[in-house]
Order: sequence, then structure tokens, then C-alpha cells
Amino acid sequence: MLAVFFDGIVGGLQLGVLAVGLSLLYGLGGVLNLAHGALAVSAAIVASLAMDAGWPAVPAAVVGVLVAAAIGLGLDQTIMRPVYRLRGESRVLLSLLLTLGAAFAIDGLLGWRYPFGGLSLRIGGGPVTILGVRMRSGSLLASAIAITAIGALTWLLRRTRTGRAVRSVIQDEVGAQLVGINPGRVRTLIFTLSAALAGLVAITQSMTAPVSVSSGFSLTILALIVTVVGGLGSAPGALLAGLLLGIVNALSSFYIGTYITAIILLAAAALTILVRPAGLLGRAD
Amino acid sequence: MPTWDPGHQAMLEVTDLSVGYRGADVVHRVSFEVRAGETVALIGSNGAGKTTTLRALCGLLMPSSGRVRFAGQDVTGTATHRLSRRGMAYVPAERHLFPGMTVEENLVLGAYPDRADPARQESVFELFPTLRARRAQLAGTMSGGEQQMLAVARALMSAPRLLMLDEPTTGLAPVLAEAAYDALDRLSAEGMTILVSEQQVPLALRVADRGYVLEEGHIRLEGDATSLEHNPDVRRAYLGIG
Repeated sequence: MLAVFFDGIVGGLQLGVLAVGLSLLYGLGGVLNLAHGALAVSAAIVASLAMDAGWPAVPAAVVGVLVAAAIGLGLDQTIMRPVYRLRGESRVLLSLLLTLGAAFAIDGLLGWRYPFGGLSLRIGGGPVTILGVRMRSGSLLASAIAITAIGALTWLLRRTRTGRAVRSVIQDEVGAQLVGINPGRVRTLIFTLSAALAGLVAITQSMTAPVSVSSGFSLTILALIVTVVGGLGSAPGALLAGLLLGIVNALSSFYIGTYITAIILLAAAALTILVRPAGLLGRAD
Repeated sequence: MPTWDPGHQAMLEVTDLSVGYRGADVVHRVSFEVRAGETVALIGSNGAGKTTTLRALCGLLMPSSGRVRFAGQDVTGTATHRLSRRGMAYVPAERHLFPGMTVEENLVLGAYPDRADPARQESVFELFPTLRARRAQLAGTMSGGEQQMLAVARALMSAPRLLMLDEPTTGLAPVLAEAAYDALDRLSAEGMTILVSEQQVPLALRVADRGYVLEEGHIRLEGDATSLEHNPDVRRAYLGIG
């Protein structure tokens, strides 16, 4: 039981990191990025190619994450431009269509060039016993990286001028413009950061289970579920929802079966929306 | 960069400005100016085009024609955040504060992209002592009067060259409306250049040096505050005196 619970926390931390960028992006500009999982997979494939070429794991992973960030930046500067020119419902709809198109393009390209591509990082060292539970060192390293990423992001949002600017655009975009903040630049920053975090999650996931070229859409859907449960636009909400859903995921996979877990996660998301339409920590307005 | 002599040129010079929504102009070829150190009132009833005019000046609306010069430079169509960094501060009637942040965080953001100047913050707290007591309170949980103070205070944190306010008395009880204008009076006495739109005309004319009367998107009258106060049309329409 405790072992399953711990597994849930390991997965949940990563779900949180996967979803937080998506959630911030919705809060900033009312857009959803359906290419999120494809960006994550790009990082994994680039890292695996680098390792095939003889690179050590750490620089290969760094390059993978940087490439994901660069693709994110590219998307922000191209397909997101017309999206931000629209207002209201048409903006979110166009963002869904265009990022879905980008997801197909990235997935298609990777699937065509590297049909058997994938990343699975083997972390050395034997299992470590925590509270009587034997944990794989890969799980512990993945969790440590996720916690570090969460800590760095929290510091950025809470303690820096840039982070304050990000929060101000989420809370009141006109107010932010009036004090001299350029919302477009803030959105570019967060789109890029969100892509980097997605790439980072693909790397950490590959420490416990292989990430393949076809993992993109399931990663996107997981991220969307977590984002909705946590409350669109809320970074703490996404992290909390990631943790909770990670535990639900592990428990239901273990006690019920993997095949039905996706349905249970969706049911949990639907239930959250019925009880709290704004999500766990979303603003109810 | 062109040289700019504050003694001879207007801080804000609006020429033949037309602006509206979705192609239909609400404001038609208005021209007016605000000289450095002056307080100017833009008066008119609801729907006269005051807010539309101010939104066009600060870059939130794109004018359909006309020109806006600010501090000696043509700024027509310049983005809001750029104008803010150049020293044009706008306090909208809806305030647009950051509700989930504390009073202090709102003030710090007011100075963006610069670091908040402690001396500046001190002078803002002297103008609005209530805000000092509430510096750790979330902006969204404050009363309307306090939010109005915070909106003005946030604008002042950037040490603006021009302070523009849209109906600062919106939703305020009479006592608080008076207090808001007392604060503007003090700022004006300290030399701040102010443009304020208002439908509570007596309050605005008490503080202003000059005024423009906006009706149905046209400037109908202009003059110094005293002459407007004694103008029979103004008295009938805005002061409730027949």
C-alpha cells in the first residue's frame, strides 16, 4: 500500500511539472497548447539521438530540454501570433486548432524519421529503502529533479520581478499594461518555459518507464486533465492536482487495472468540475 | 531625439482625434492640450466619450484618425506599456488592480520595470496614510475608496510626467469623492500634470485650472475653470442650476 502510494507521489510530482506551464499559459492568454506532449516527446527523442551519438546522459538531456524550449519559442512566434490577435472564445478555439496541427506535424515528423525512437534512461545504483519501502533510484532522481523544478518555478513566480509580472498579467492584463508590462513578452517567456518543463518531464519519466515517439498525445491529455482539476491559470493548483491525480493513478493502476485508469482520472476531473467548477485552486469568477 | 522645452510646449497635445469601437467613431475630431504642471478637466455626462478619449490616449484603443503628442513626441498608436514607461500614467475608472496581490506588491508593480523607490513609496503613503496601514492586505479585499487610492498610488509609483484619471469618483460615497479630489489637489500643488475626466463637474472644476466640455463625442466648450463654472450652459447641464 505504502509502496503504491509512494509511486503515486513520484508520478504525481512529474504530472504537476508537466501541467503547470499549460495552466499558466491559459491564465496568461486564455489559450491551450495541444502540442504540449509533442514538445515533451521531442526532448526525449533529441536526448536519445544525442546518446546514440555517444553523448553522456546529462548533456544529452540538457540539449533535449533546450530543443523543446526552442520549438516552444518557435511556436509562440509563429502560430500563436494570429491567436493572440483574437479575443474571447475564438482565441481559445484557434489556439486549440493550431496547436493540434502543430502536434500532428511534430508527431508525424518524429514518427516518420524515428519510428522506433524512444528514450529510456537507466539510472545506476541499487534501490533505496525509505520508511520500509524499497524505491528505485530512478524514481528518486526523477522526483528530486521534479521537486527542484517546482522549487525554482515557485521562486521565479514569487520572488522575482519577472514572476510578479507574470502573475500580474494573469490577474489583470490591462492593469499589467498600465504599469508598463508587455503581456506578449510574458506569454512568450511562459510558452518557452512551459515547453522546457514538458521536455524535462519526458526526461524524468524515461528514468522509470520508456518514453516513446507515440507518447505525445497521452502526455497532452494527462496535462490537460491535471490543469483542469487544479484550476486553469493556477500554478499551485496544477502542482497539487498533479500530486493528487498521481496518487489516484497509482492506486487505481495497482488495485483495479491500468486499462481503466484513464477513465478513473477523467471521472476524477469531471467530479472536480461538478463540485468546484473553477478547479481546486482556480479563481471562481 | 528632438529637444523638448516644457515651458513652451504642451505635455499632451491631441489634434483632431477620432476614435470608436468596431469602426463606428464615438469621439469626433477632438483637439485639446494639457500643459506641463497644469490640471485639466474633461467634463461631460455618461456616454459623452470621455473614457473612449482617455483609452485612445493611453494606447488601449487605436484612434481611427488624428494625432497624439506626448512630451514632444508623436505617440499615436503606441502600445500602452511603452507609454507607461515613457511617463504616461492612466488610472481607469475600473481601476484594474491586481486583486490577488497585496497593497505593497501592487505598488512595487507600479514602478515596473524599475525597482520601487522607497522615497517614492514613502511620499505615496503620506498622501494616502490608509494604504500604509493596509500594505499587507490583498487589494481585492479592500473597499472601493481604498481601491481607488491604491489605483492612484500605483500610478504614482512610476513618477509619471502625466497622470490621467478616468472618473476617479466612480462608485465612491460623497465624502470619499471629496477625499479623492483633495489628494489630486495636493498632487497638483506639488506640480503634477493631471488630466481628469469627470461627470461630477463641481468637484473637477474645484481642482482644475482649465476644462473642456465633451458632448456626444465633440468638444463643445473650453476655458479656464472659473469661466466654465460661471457659464450658463455648464451651470444648467452639469451643476443643476437653472
